[in-house]
Amino acid sequence: MDTRVVNKGQLPELLDKLAQDYTLFAPVCEDETVTLFKQVSGAQEITLDYTNSDVSPKGCFFPQTEKTLTYTNTGDKLEINNVCEEEKTVVFGIRPCDIKSILALDPVFHGKFVDEYYTNKRENTTIIGLSCQKVASTCFCTAFNSGPCDGSGSDLMFTELGDKYFVEVNTEKGRVLVDAYSQFFGTQDTDQLAKAKAEHEKKLSGQFVRKVDLDGVKEVLDNNFELPYWEKVFEKCLGCGICTFVCPTCHCFDIFDLTNGLFTGERYRCWDSCMFPDFTLMAGGHNPRPTQKERVRNRFMHKLKYHMDRYNLDGCVGCGRCIAKCPVNIDITAIIKDLKEVGQNG
Amino acid sequence: MDRPIPLTPYPATITKIVDETGDVKTFTVEFEDPQVMEEFGNKPGQVAQLSVFGEGESTISITSSPTRGKFLEFSVRRVGRLTNALHQLEVGSKIGVRGPYGNCFPYDLMKGKDLFFIGGGIALAPLRSLIDFVLSEQYRSDYGKVEILYGARSYDDLCFKSDLFERWPKIPNTKVYTTLDREEEGWKGHVGFVPPYVEEVSPAPENKFAIICGPPILIKLTLPIMEKLGFSDEQIITTLEMKMKCGIGKCGRCNIGSKYVCIDGPVFNLAQLKELPPEY
Repeated sequence: MDTRVVNKGQLPELLDKLAQDYTLFAPVCEDETVTLFKQVSGAQEITLDYTNSDVSPKGCFFPQTEKTLTYTNTGDKLEINNVCEEEKTVVFGIRPCDIKSILALDPVFHGKFVDEYYTNKRENTTIIGLSCQKVASTCFCTAFNSGPCDGSGSDLMFTELGDKYFVEVNTEKGRVLVDAYSQFFGTQDTDQLAKAKAEHEKKLSGQFVRKVDLDGVKEVLDNNFELPYWEKVFEKCLGCGICTFVCPTCHCFDIFDLTNGLFTGERYRCWDSCMFPDFTLMAGGHNPRPTQKERVRNRFMHKLKYHMDRYNLDGCVGCGRCIAKCPVNIDITAIIKDLKEVGQNG
Repeated sequence: MDRPIPLTPYPATITKIVDETGDVKTFTVEFEDPQVMEEFGNKPGQVAQLSVFGEGESTISITSSPTRGKFLEFSVRRVGRLTNALHQLEVGSKIGVRGPYGNCFPYDLMKGKDLFFIGGGIALAPLRSLIDFVLSEQYRSDYGKVEILYGARSYDDLCFKSDLFERWPKIPNTKVYTTLDREEEGWKGHVGFVPPYVEEVSPAPENKFAIICGPPILIKLTLPIMEKLGFSDEQIITTLEMKMKCGIGKCGRCNIGSKYVCIDGPVFNLAQLKELPPEY
C-alpha cells in the first residue's frame, strides 16, 4: 500500500490550503458542547478533540435540509429548475464507523433511480478518514467487522501517532490529493509508522467495553416479526427521534415546499424520522405503524435485518450515538443481546 | 430531454376535470413537452407524484391506460392538504408530474385469462388503468371474459359512472356488476356490500385472475370468499396504498418489511403479500 507521513505541526497549513481549494467539511465544536461536521474556512475552526462527533457526517452527502428545486408558476407558465450542485469537496476527520455508514448509504441513493443530489456529492468528494484515539464506552464498531483504525471506504486514512500522521493512500482520488499537496506528504519512516499504527490499533481494540455478538440475531428477526419482546422495548420510547437524527445510516426524508411569494418558491428535502407517528400516517387516516411499538420495531428491524436483506450490508455501524443520546437509555446493544436470548430460549 | 434528476417533476397542464362524486375528481393531465409523454412509458398499475407547487407532492395512481391517448388521468379524493389543493385547481392550471413509479399489473401473465375485478369506492381508480388496457381495441382479443364488480356507499359515491353504465358494458364479453351499500330511491340495481355480492355472483376460479382493490375492510372480508370459491393465492392480485414522499425507494416510509411499496409494489399477488409482515 502507498503510505505517506504528515508532520502534525503542518496539518493546520494543509487544512488551510484544502479549505482554499475545496469545499472543506471538518469537525467543529459548536457552543462548546456539540461536535458536528460543517463547512470550514480554515484550520482554526476545526476541532480534533472528539472521540466521535455528536452528529454524524452523513450530512456532507445527504444534508439535513437540502434545496432540490425552485419554481415559478404564474398560472400561464410553470418553470421548474433543478438545484443540484457539484462542488469539489474534501471531508476531513471521518471516523471509521462513519465511513462505513457512507458505504451503507451508497446503494440507497444509487440503484434504479440514481439520486444525483447524493451521488454528485459522493463523486466530487475526497474522504480523509481519521483513526480513533480513544474508544468511547458506547462504541461497538468491532461487532460489524470494523475497527477504530479501519480505513476501508476512505480515500486517505490518517492516523495520529505522536507528532506525526501516518497516511494510507487508499484510492486514486486520494493519490491525486497527495500529489497535489506533495509538499506536505513525506515518505520517510513510513514502515515504522505502519508498525506503530498496528500497535495503536491493538491497544484500542482492548478498550472496548461492549462485547456485542450478532451471531444468530438476524435469524431470530427473519423468523419472528411478532415477538412479545417488542411490547417491552417500546414502552419507554418517547418517540423523540434523536436516535434517527444522530444515526449515520438513517436516510429517511420528507419533501416540502416553501413559497416566498405568489408565484415563486422552493422545494426542499429534509431528514425525517420513522419514530414520528405521522411518518406513515396517510391523509385518509390509516396508519400502518399506528403505535410506538410498530415504529420501534421497524427501526431495529431496519438496522439489524431489512438493510441487510435489501443491500447485503449492515444497517448499523456500531457508532454508539443512539445509545449515548437516547433520553431513556434504549440501548441497541442490549436489544441485540436480548434478541439473542429470545432466539436461544424462545 | 434533459431531466436527469429523479425528484424533479415535469411541467404539465390540467386539460379536463370530471366531478366523479362529491369528493372525487378525475384530472386529465398533459405534459407541456409532448416528448415527455412519448418517453413516459406508464404501464397499468403504476403511480406518479403530483405536485401542486407551494403545497407539495403526493403519490397518486395513474387511472388511465396508456392505450387511451397521450394524456394521464388521475382520480383524486379530497382527503388531505395536497388533494385539497388539487381540487381547487381549474382547467388550464399548471402542476408537476414525475414518474411513472412502481411495478405494474402482470398484464402479460394475464393474457388468455378471464379477469374478475373487485373494487369499492375510490379504489376503482388504480384498477381502471388495467381495465381500460385489457378492454382496449388493441389488446381486447388477448384476454378472455372481463367482469367488473364495483360498489359504493351511495349512487353519488360511484366513480366512473359513464364507464360503468355506458362505455364498458358495450364492449363484447364484458360484464359490469354494481352495488350500493343501502337502498336508494331510483336505484334498481343490487343493494349490499361488495364481499357478499362477490359470493352471490360466485366467479369460478378456472383460468381466471381476480384483481381486488378497496379499503382494508373490503379486502379483509373478500379474501376468505375468494379462497372458498377456490382461487389460489397466485390468482388474487391487489395493489397497496402507503404514504410515500420520493416514490423511488429512498425516503424510507413505504416499507413493508424489507420491501418498498413504491418500487417493489404497489401490485402484489396474495402469495407475495403473505410473505410480508402484516404492516400495511
